[in-house]
Amino acid sequence: MDLQGESLVLLPERALLWERTGTLVVADAHLGKAAAFRAAAIPMPGGTTTEALLRLTAALDRTGARRLLLLGDFFHAKSGRASQTLAAISSWRDHHVDLQIVLVRGNHDLGAGDPPSEWGFACCDEPCLEPPFVFRHHPAEEREGYVLAGHIHPAVSLSGLGRQREKLPCFLFGERIGLLPAFGGFTGGASVRPRREDRVFVLAGDEVVALR
Amino acid sequence: MHALATSLPSTAAPSRLDLWFERRGWAPFDFQREVWSAYKAGESGLIHAATGTGKTYAAWMAPLLEWLDDHPEPDLRPRRRAAAPPLRVLWLTPLRALAADTEASLRAPLAELGIPWTLERRTGDTAASVRDRQREKLPTALVTTPESLSLLLSRPDARELFSDLRLVVVDEWHELMGSKRGAQTELALARLRRFRPGLRTWGISATLGNLDIALAALTGGTDTSRPGRLVRGEAPKEIRVDSLIPEKIERFPWAGHLGLRLLPQVVAAVEEGRTALVFTNTRSQTEIWYQALLEARPDWAGEIALHHGSLDRKVRDWVEDGLRRGGLRCVVCTSSLDLGVDFAPVDRVLQVGSPKGIARLAQRAGRSGHQPGAPSRVTCVPTNAFELVEVAAARRALRSGRVEGRTPLEKPLDVLAQHLVTVALGGGFRSAELFEEVRAAWAYRDLTAEEWDWTLDFVTRGGPALAAYPEYRRVVEADGRLTVPDRAVGRRHRMAIGTITSDAVVAVQYLSGGKLGTVEESFIARLRPGDRFVFAGRLLELERVHGMTAYVRKTRGKSGAIPRWMGGRMPLSTELAASVRRLLEEARDGAFEGPEMTAVRPILELQARWSAIPAADELLIERLKSREGHHLFLYPFEGRLVHEGLAALLAWRISRLRPITFTLAVDDYGIELLSPDPAPLDEALAAGLLSPTGLLEDIPASLNAAEMAKRQFRDIARVAGLLFQGFPGQRKPARHLQASSGLFYEVFAKYDPGNLLLQQAHREVLEQQLERSRLGRTLARLSASRIHEIQLARTSPLGFPLLVTRMRDQLSSEKLADRIQRLQARLEKAAG
Repeated sequence: MDLQGESLVLLPERALLWERTGTLVVADAHLGKAAAFRAAAIPMPGGTTTEALLRLTAALDRTGARRLLLLGDFFHAKSGRASQTLAAISSWRDHHVDLQIVLVRGNHDLGAGDPPSEWGFACCDEPCLEPPFVFRHHPAEEREGYVLAGHIHPAVSLSGLGRQREKLPCFLFGERIGLLPAFGGFTGGASVRPRREDRVFVLAGDEVVALR
Repeated sequence: MHALATSLPSTAAPSRLDLWFERRGWAPFDFQREVWSAYKAGESGLIHAATGTGKTYAAWMAPLLEWLDDHPEPDLRPRRRAAAPPLRVLWLTPLRALAADTEASLRAPLAELGIPWTLERRTGDTAASVRDRQREKLPTALVTTPESLSLLLSRPDARELFSDLRLVVVDEWHELMGSKRGAQTELALARLRRFRPGLRTWGISATLGNLDIALAALTGGTDTSRPGRLVRGEAPKEIRVDSLIPEKIERFPWAGHLGLRLLPQVVAAVEEGRTALVFTNTRSQTEIWYQALLEARPDWAGEIALHHGSLDRKVRDWVEDGLRRGGLRCVVCTSSLDLGVDFAPVDRVLQVGSPKGIARLAQRAGRSGHQPGAPSRVTCVPTNAFELVEVAAARRALRSGRVEGRTPLEKPLDVLAQHLVTVALGGGFRSAELFEEVRAAWAYRDLTAEEWDWTLDFVTRGGPALAAYPEYRRVVEADGRLTVPDRAVGRRHRMAIGTITSDAVVAVQYLSGGKLGTVEESFIARLRPGDRFVFAGRLLELERVHGMTAYVRKTRGKSGAIPRWMGGRMPLSTELAASVRRLLEEARDGAFEGPEMTAVRPILELQARWSAIPAADELLIERLKSREGHHLFLYPFEGRLVHEGLAALLAWRISRLRPITFTLAVDDYGIELLSPDPAPLDEALAAGLLSPTGLLEDIPASLNAAEMAKRQFRDIARVAGLLFQGFPGQRKPARHLQASSGLFYEVFAKYDPGNLLLQQAHREVLEQQLERSRLGRTLARLSASRIHEIQLARTSPLGFPLLVTRMRDQLSSEKLADRIQRLQARLEKAAG
């Protein structure tokens, strides 16, 4: 799709590719959330971190992106920095050693702490200006450009026949702000009510579907 | 509550108890004496009867008599609390609110009989200072809830606490029985029996259709040497059921169409007595009727009140006090006033809308007429002409003593998981011993070793899907003994004990702080500041919403939105549905007995003319072609929930023969399947459309079972300890530990599909939401019925409400009202 004169590709892996700069943009991974629950004696099964990392690799391989931009909430909580979780991410990082990674800090990152320096993540606070875009974790209008943000975990509720309802994560592009869906597996979605001018793309299984 | 004094039993010299009764002008009933001698002989049992007929004292006097026998001299000295005898009697009650009234009734005989017992209450409402005192020493008799009992069992010294326990009374057992609280109670009782092998358990219950099961679930049932005794209370007073009949009845009724039309008659009925209770079926209805009554009779302001479960505790207390004092003329309420002590001065009971169940109707009728000799009476106010048939059917069923039973749950594992942690905290346990103990609880009598191992694994390691995660520690095994060593885990568990889940609610309070109650989040989400709504009987204006609180102020004006609560409306019970079918058969044969049947006669006669009235062993199927498409109307008369499952099942089975899209609509009487092309009905019937075979496979395939299971999983996740509720005083529980149950469900479904809690969710969807066994029995009945297929030219009176239900989902309310009117007019004209 075209946005602000730039060509963007929306991926079913819940990521967005900025073609010109070869950047894969991803928001709200919340890695280690299940581990945080386990640390609080709530029995969440394992597998969410592995799945997220596999999906990230798939998106990178598919697009050949050279740079990964994380729009906040990479880690979920300090208690979620379990040894197994960290080891998995470390190993994933080794697999993508040449990838440039930038993390725009979000509210959860502030609590959980920055990723270990060995991983080579460049961390910065919002806003992060890259014309024509401004990258943020929290969505807020910026004069300098079109904001791409996370934090909301946008989803739309769709109703079908027979009173069936489904809530699906989506990309939501408004006039000045665009929201990315939450990348993480164990993340909830917040229902948004798009206005008529907004462009909404729903993630349904293996497809990204434009909503009318 | 007791018979007037006639004479004392002539044989024995008057005991202290007899004298006490005599002084009060009462004489013990025979059934009370039966309970007392059974107790003395070491028996357990279940006392069942309609409300207010001496059941409380039947149970309570038994241990008092035991004491009197051992202590012939009355002890009237003032006693220090610390010197009182240790805990002997546990009185379990389902509601915290009931506990206060119960305590007062129990306290009365103690001092007068010179029994030096202390008697206290302990519930979620008990003040911290009292709780501290109780932690030091429990009173001789404790009135408490199942949740608070579990809390006591979670104390490391639990065994010592109960070392002198003689009796557990479970009040309103019918209310606890069919729910997870009942399962929790059963597990707690099994534990207490392990501590005290000679423990006697006595239940108090309303009339039930399955008393033998109720008794078995209460007493454990597996120990056949001590089966327990059923004691029937005083024969119920006559119960009179009558109705308010509208002057004019449309021949094409639909749900709620009578609305407030009968308001003047309701007002007149309320005026007949000094105090009246007006029961409605939903909280919204309560608010609507309250406003309507107030508008009709503004002079009643201050004399009428409303009462339902979403009102703040203080508001409800005020109303209950008012009823007790006799200071209220009328209270509009929901099932919130079903349980509890007799509000003595109620002389009129009205029921708005069909009660949907016979036992419920009888219980509500029993609220009235406490003057000796006065019959219990309930007046039904139909909101839909067909409800008149239900009322007549309920009356018929009552006369022949047919009443619903309550089905206990089958081994809910989430409750078991919670109990295991409780016991691990409360002294610890060994796996083999606790397994045996748990199986002594009736709900878990069929618990398999696999299920036990899985649950144990769930609370120790988090289940097989967690593999080896060192961070996870809940119950820990050491030397074969399982305990909870982590104090934070223990604290969190105690906070969360219980099986009652609340929906996402928003507290409603005045800016000045006064709390009114709660409404559902979904309702507030649709309002903006400045919008008006009606709640707690007042017209309110929304100021703002902050977090989970909506701040409001009182306002004047005409009207506002009425909140809607998601709570399930009761479907027609099997017993009542069967009675309805019998009445319809009589009507088919031309017999219309009673004022209700006479009033609906024109509707039924038209039904017979245009279509047919089904016989009790017939399944009526109507076919109709209209501009909307091809309609299939089927009338199993089995209640809305069964029909939902049935409709999806039938639609799915038919479309297996030929791919067809159906739009479905259901109500308590029947099902509508609407399709653009005609459905191959006869072919489907021949191919086993109504066969119960293959039901278990077909149901999940036909429904969005995953979606329903996800919703069901919410309760399970909460009970099993997955949802972190937070600590007291903490406004928002730790944000980083928040996840919706839908999310849990998805993660479990993906990464731990063998999780037995998921299976429990699926099972519960089948059993509870869809009433699978009832669905299976319905299919069996329908397969054995004669099929009566009719081609219609127009919608029949029975089909019309289904049409409206379907349209309600698709149209806005103004358009709907308009459409309905036009349709009705057309049909009425054709009917002549």
